[in-house]
Amino acid sequence: MIENVVKTEIANGVRACFVKAEHFKTNVMSVHIVLPLESDMEANALLCYMLRRRCAKYPTMTALNRRLAELYGASLACGVSKTGDSQDICFRIVSVSDRFALSDEGISKNCTELLLDVLFEPKLENGNFAEEDIELEKRLLIEKIDSEFSEKRIYAKDRLVEEMFKGENYGKGRFGCRDEIRNVTNERLLAAWKAYLENAVIQFTFVGESDDGITEQLKERFSEIDRTEVCTIETRFEPVAKETQKIDEKQAVKQGKLVMGLRTGLESRDENFFPTRVAVDMFGGGPYSRLFMNVREKMSLCYYCSAQFVKDKGFILVQSGIEDENEKKATDAILEELQNMKDGKFTSEDVEKSKKGLTDAFLSVGDTPESIDAWVGTRVLDEEIILPQDYAEKINEVTADEIKTAAEKITLDTIYMLSGDGTGEEE
Amino acid sequence: METKEIKNDLLGERYYKIDHTSGLKIYVFPKENYSSTYAVFGTRYGSIDTAFRKSGEEKYTEVPEGIAHFLEHKLFESEELDAFERFAKTGASANAYTSFDKTCYLFSCSGNFNQNLEILLDFVRHPYFTQKTVEKEQGIIGQEIRMYRDVPDWRVLFNLLCAMYKNHPVRIDIAGTEASIAEISADLLYKCYDDFYNLGNMALAIAGNVNVEEVIEIADRLLTEDEPFSVDRKVFEEEKEVVTDYVEEKLSVASPIFSLGFKEMLSNPERTLKEELLGNIILEAIAGNTSDLYSELIDAELINPTFSTEYFTGFGYSSMIFSGESCDPKKTSEIIKDKIRCFKETGIGSEDFERARKKLYGREIMSYNDVDELANNLIAADFMNEGLFDEFETLKILTCDEANEFLKEILDERYSSLSVILPA
Repeated sequence: MIENVVKTEIANGVRACFVKAEHFKTNVMSVHIVLPLESDMEANALLCYMLRRRCAKYPTMTALNRRLAELYGASLACGVSKTGDSQDICFRIVSVSDRFALSDEGISKNCTELLLDVLFEPKLENGNFAEEDIELEKRLLIEKIDSEFSEKRIYAKDRLVEEMFKGENYGKGRFGCRDEIRNVTNERLLAAWKAYLENAVIQFTFVGESDDGITEQLKERFSEIDRTEVCTIETRFEPVAKETQKIDEKQAVKQGKLVMGLRTGLESRDENFFPTRVAVDMFGGGPYSRLFMNVREKMSLCYYCSAQFVKDKGFILVQSGIEDENEKKATDAILEELQNMKDGKFTSEDVEKSKKGLTDAFLSVGDTPESIDAWVGTRVLDEEIILPQDYAEKINEVTADEIKTAAEKITLDTIYMLSGDGTGEEE
Repeated sequence: METKEIKNDLLGERYYKIDHTSGLKIYVFPKENYSSTYAVFGTRYGSIDTAFRKSGEEKYTEVPEGIAHFLEHKLFESEELDAFERFAKTGASANAYTSFDKTCYLFSCSGNFNQNLEILLDFVRHPYFTQKTVEKEQGIIGQEIRMYRDVPDWRVLFNLLCAMYKNHPVRIDIAGTEASIAEISADLLYKCYDDFYNLGNMALAIAGNVNVEEVIEIADRLLTEDEPFSVDRKVFEEEKEVVTDYVEEKLSVASPIFSLGFKEMLSNPERTLKEELLGNIILEAIAGNTSDLYSELIDAELINPTFSTEYFTGFGYSSMIFSGESCDPKKTSEIIKDKIRCFKETGIGSEDFERARKKLYGREIMSYNDVDELANNLIAADFMNEGLFDEFETLKILTCDEANEFLKEILDERYSSLSVILPA
């Protein structure tokens, strides 16, 4: 159980969150750097991988990776995600607790320093990033984007989002536009680095035995940074679908991918959140949900059919893998289950199943340092960080009437179907 | 019935091993300050068990490919409430998986542990199959199989296994094929169930917020003794040579994906723990992200961070696999082979060895945080006739000389295959 999150203001728009946990064998430290989607998304994304590659102190990729291996296989990962109308750049270092060191090495202190070195002391030559690094990381990032084309479940979901949010920045991928990545210059990268440190909303999260002077270390690093212009992040919510659009695409695939995007009626992240959370779970959450029980188990149409609530942008994704010719059957079945939710055709037992499933899962968030870090780290934009047990309590307070009302507000915006073009069949 | 406490002071951990009167081996790993509990009930029965015989039987029974996985799906059903619905009432999150060599049923929960364990022990022990429910499942699993046929990482691996192995069923998709699952009937499912779901062939492992007494009390109450017998896995004859040294398939992918495998001959059906760990250290030293090979391939624009290695071993098969995305899989594969040749000549340096070992050592310690990893590792160790702490202890005593000695036996390029997925 997470008892408490100790928040410390490091600088304007920069905070540190410490969760004391002594019973784990690892420490986790992460930093989330959040910028609006209007910023230079491509440069922000590319920079994150440039920084992870090498730094002034460990000037080659191999030197940096060897340092991590010496620190008992510590892992340093970075990633980019989209949270509402913001781009979230994250670095995370995971290491074993100091008590397992074979000699007196201070693993966690060394790891914190390494993370800060990566962020504050990049490998620059005459104030510029090395051109060969830029070219190399551009290639790797473009390959990363392209590999998502190869994973059809992800590809279909991304395409739905692109179509549903056309004209908005949210319609772009989390790395920005693929083709624009090629145009990123040294100047844009340096500007992005400046934006990371001076303008972004930043949260450091640390899960471990003690904060061991980390907040002081952070304050010192930020004391030399001008933090007077911190960005504000506002997410646009479109509560109601205007009319349903249908997008069809064909590729050499053996299984069709059906994705639906639905609007929830929510106008902000806070309003009416918990009833919608429960409604979506009853609709397509666990194996007790309507979609699993009916579209998969009763109708035998698919291996997976589920609904996911994207809370930061207030919409729902429904995903399923089906035979192309079953598209109408599956679409009708999914919409019928949604209608049943709106009509209140569910029992108090159904409500209880979802509540129990959701709350049981939230109560185990405190059992790994990684899940604690994920819980706290992804709440970088929240003034107060709600604890999992309080979240569970809110779920339990939701009534059947509220669920019905929440379901009634759901409207279908976009249907996307990826089907075979006939060339994928063999045998 | 015997309960044994097994401790490791350096890790500061302990667990209990119970030889239950029913014939089942039970492992309980209590973790203080944890809210959740994770339980796995598994049988030593996986996709490679397509031919087997009970002790006393003369002939091997042959069954359709994919039947272990099919059985896993079907066991959730019962004449009344299916297992998912029963777990839904308690809030536990339940699941199951089938691998090459085992089938496991599991739940995780932060409340109602006793009730959940009762459901787990009950539904796995009470099969219910009818021809009608079997047919319904053929539709669902058929879609699962088709889904994987579009997943490039999955296809590249199984194409490689088919290129390396001629007879061993490891070459077949765990879920089987649409044709093989069509042959499955309720009677066949009962036959496999009766032979493999004998408590003597199974293990139960529980980690997290749990104590030994409550587990024993429930096991005593619910588990009746099974007539003891053993099942022999068929050892499939494999030649040294691979079937083919190159295989390719076209899929809707953006760039080529490759898997380069080196087939190994086994003198015993399975690699020992020590050999497996040495193999992993060797792979890390040769091709891990701290190696010269890795940075050379990145700089030559031949790989990206999807590049990875795996020591792929199990009952009757063993191979080392290098995979990733590459614009030129053949060239990449040649460079990897060149590097291996160098290492075989000069041996792995002690610095590289120590770095690789230290990394594995750290990762091993980290695995003791997660209750799901602990319970799954306990089952896996039991099926290998090992203790959970053996891996940690063995890692500490391995030497660079042993690694170099082992390196001589493995990674023989004469017995290698390259599998490639090309954009359609």
